[in-house]
Amino acid sequence: MRRAQRSMSAALAGCLTAMALSACGGEPPSGTETAGGPLTVWFPGNAEAEMKLVNETIVPAFEKASGTDVEITYVDWEEMSPKLNAAFAAGTAPDVIGHGVAATADLAANDRVEDLTPYVAKLPASDREDLKSALDGGVVGGKQYIAPLIMTLRMLVYSGADFKEAGLDPDAPPKTWAEVRAAAEKLTKREGGMITRAGLIMPSNPISIQQSYATLLWSHGGDFLTPDGKKSALTSPEAVAALEYLTGLYQGAQAVDNTLGTEWGGSPHAQQPIVTGEASMQLSSSGDIKKYQDAGPDRDLRLIPPPAVEGHEARSFGGAANGLMINKDSVQKDQAWAFITHMLQPETSVAYAEALGVLPARASAVDSAYVSKNPELKKAVESLPAAKGNPNVVGWVQMRHAMGQSLERALHGKTPPAEALKQAAAEMDKIIASSS
Amino acid sequence: MLFVLPAALYVVIFQLGPVLYGLVLSFSEYSPIKRSGPEFIGLDNYRALLDDPEFGRALLVTGRYVLQVLPFTVVIALVLAMLCNRSFRGVGFFRTAMYVPHIVSLTAVSMIWLWIYSDNGVVNELLGLFGLPEQRWLADEDAALNAASAMRVWKALGSNMVLLLAGLQTVPRDLYEAARVDGANAWRQFLAVTLPGLRPMLTYVLAMDIIYLAQGFSEIFVLTQGGPYGSTTTVNYLIYTEAFQYNQMGSASAMAFVLFAFIAGLSVIAIRFSQGRKA
Repeated sequence: MRRAQRSMSAALAGCLTAMALSACGGEPPSGTETAGGPLTVWFPGNAEAEMKLVNETIVPAFEKASGTDVEITYVDWEEMSPKLNAAFAAGTAPDVIGHGVAATADLAANDRVEDLTPYVAKLPASDREDLKSALDGGVVGGKQYIAPLIMTLRMLVYSGADFKEAGLDPDAPPKTWAEVRAAAEKLTKREGGMITRAGLIMPSNPISIQQSYATLLWSHGGDFLTPDGKKSALTSPEAVAALEYLTGLYQGAQAVDNTLGTEWGGSPHAQQPIVTGEASMQLSSSGDIKKYQDAGPDRDLRLIPPPAVEGHEARSFGGAANGLMINKDSVQKDQAWAFITHMLQPETSVAYAEALGVLPARASAVDSAYVSKNPELKKAVESLPAAKGNPNVVGWVQMRHAMGQSLERALHGKTPPAEALKQAAAEMDKIIASSS
Repeated sequence: MLFVLPAALYVVIFQLGPVLYGLVLSFSEYSPIKRSGPEFIGLDNYRALLDDPEFGRALLVTGRYVLQVLPFTVVIALVLAMLCNRSFRGVGFFRTAMYVPHIVSLTAVSMIWLWIYSDNGVVNELLGLFGLPEQRWLADEDAALNAASAMRVWKALGSNMVLLLAGLQTVPRDLYEAARVDGANAWRQFLAVTLPGLRPMLTYVLAMDIIYLAQGFSEIFVLTQGGPYGSTTTVNYLIYTEAFQYNQMGSASAMAFVLFAFIAGLSVIAIRFSQGRKA
């Protein structure tokens, strides 16, 4: 009996050791091992309109035209990276990976996604030209790794009704950030020292804060990284001036924004402060304008083309957003590319953008019914040349997080802007050094 | 032996295995998106934690969170348990009502409290009724962890109350009678009979609360996402960001084992404290 127990213990110990060793052993199983199986595609997000369009129109049309069976999975944005990373480790990642452009650099650096440059080169020249802005946003280290499906651009939404009430001309919105600030002060309503209607609000929750700051930073002529991408550029005078502008919205007697740290970006359109009348100007994704207008018809909601800072070009956070990549280990790369090109077809591309309520990837979409029938949406598409995206570099997500904490401290008045940026730059330099 | 084999295999494969793998990872550098497997780097991950101010701060936040929730949740639960240990009309409904928060998912509860703490939420509406200015409960560095703690106290009361009620019902009635005969008032009875009788259950409640509270994650994820500027980032939340946002599995595993030691330390102190009083 004792011997049997020893044998059992030895077997269990062996089992455990084998597990540990196998877990530590070399390269994990790679690739989709379902040659001839369905083409697996993961889309980030779970917007109902998007799922309906993809499931009922886009995929059936592709399956009919190509004879390829497609299996779509929608993954919540929050879970996309963890699930994808686990799938890579387990060798079960999909053939086609939908993700945000910000995730591309890390996947490319780890040889997880296919270089799409040769595939893009085979597209007709007219398509390449039409998709140029979007495709440029998916380039990492000179190679195309992601084919963006949509574009985005942060723009100021304003209420024509509030402008009239405050004695401002709604047909002549501010053109510079200084004018925006002056208008915001006129639009702000106060009661007993408390702001009851904010003149201007900008997203200030942990991730959005960096995107709000990016718009101001680039408009002031600054940037996050040096041109070679090897150091942070956040200690520049332009970066400090941009942060001082942002902190000024929240601090002092002339504060115009009372939403510091609150999360309103993800609220339903009808509950957005610009729609409810709690704010008169709001930095938002410009593609949402139609939904805002539908939710608040009496607010006379319009878009302000990206304002400039004197002596600098107007810039705003945006550019290529979500897109599709091909798993480097996929055994169905041609079918995967065929699916991507299907998504990029003019009609599909516009229908997809309309379902998501965003800006289409193709420049020619400005003439589509979706864009042309709404002057404000047309204004957004025409403003896309001012769009600029975050740096497509390894470790960016980590840098964004570190930067976000420093920016938050400055906005809450805990750290002076210059000092906060110095701390953010030091953190970013550390991350760059450890990533290289 | 054959009869325990399935259970033994389950424990080894699904419980000990992952823990052992986590321990191995804590001495390694590993990112799941890298093609190479874990690379052994000795104690580097642990050394790095010593110099990591964010981790140090997360430990302090976790400790503060445990220490400010624990006394309230135990003392209030004990008072409620003593109330429920009496016979009065509606006691069953009262016990059930108090237990309901425990059976609702922590994530769902956190979503409700997110609304309660919002600018236009119930708490600010109540303040408004008394002419008090509204507060930014989750956006203010000084208030955010307290707000999360208040929610957690409410959430934990029901289960603690039920456990302590079970403990109270094991205290023999004749001990109270003997104490009364000896002239002990209610307070003396509480100190001399109730507390010693409850000691095993109190120890259990303290230890379990420490274990759960020190692993606080869902409520932080939903209510504050670790903010504002890291003031509510618990160790478990930091492990999540390290592992799943930055893909640093080795470093995250090292944090997990330090957290394990931290929880074990706190639990031992709590158990010793209980036993010490007994001695």
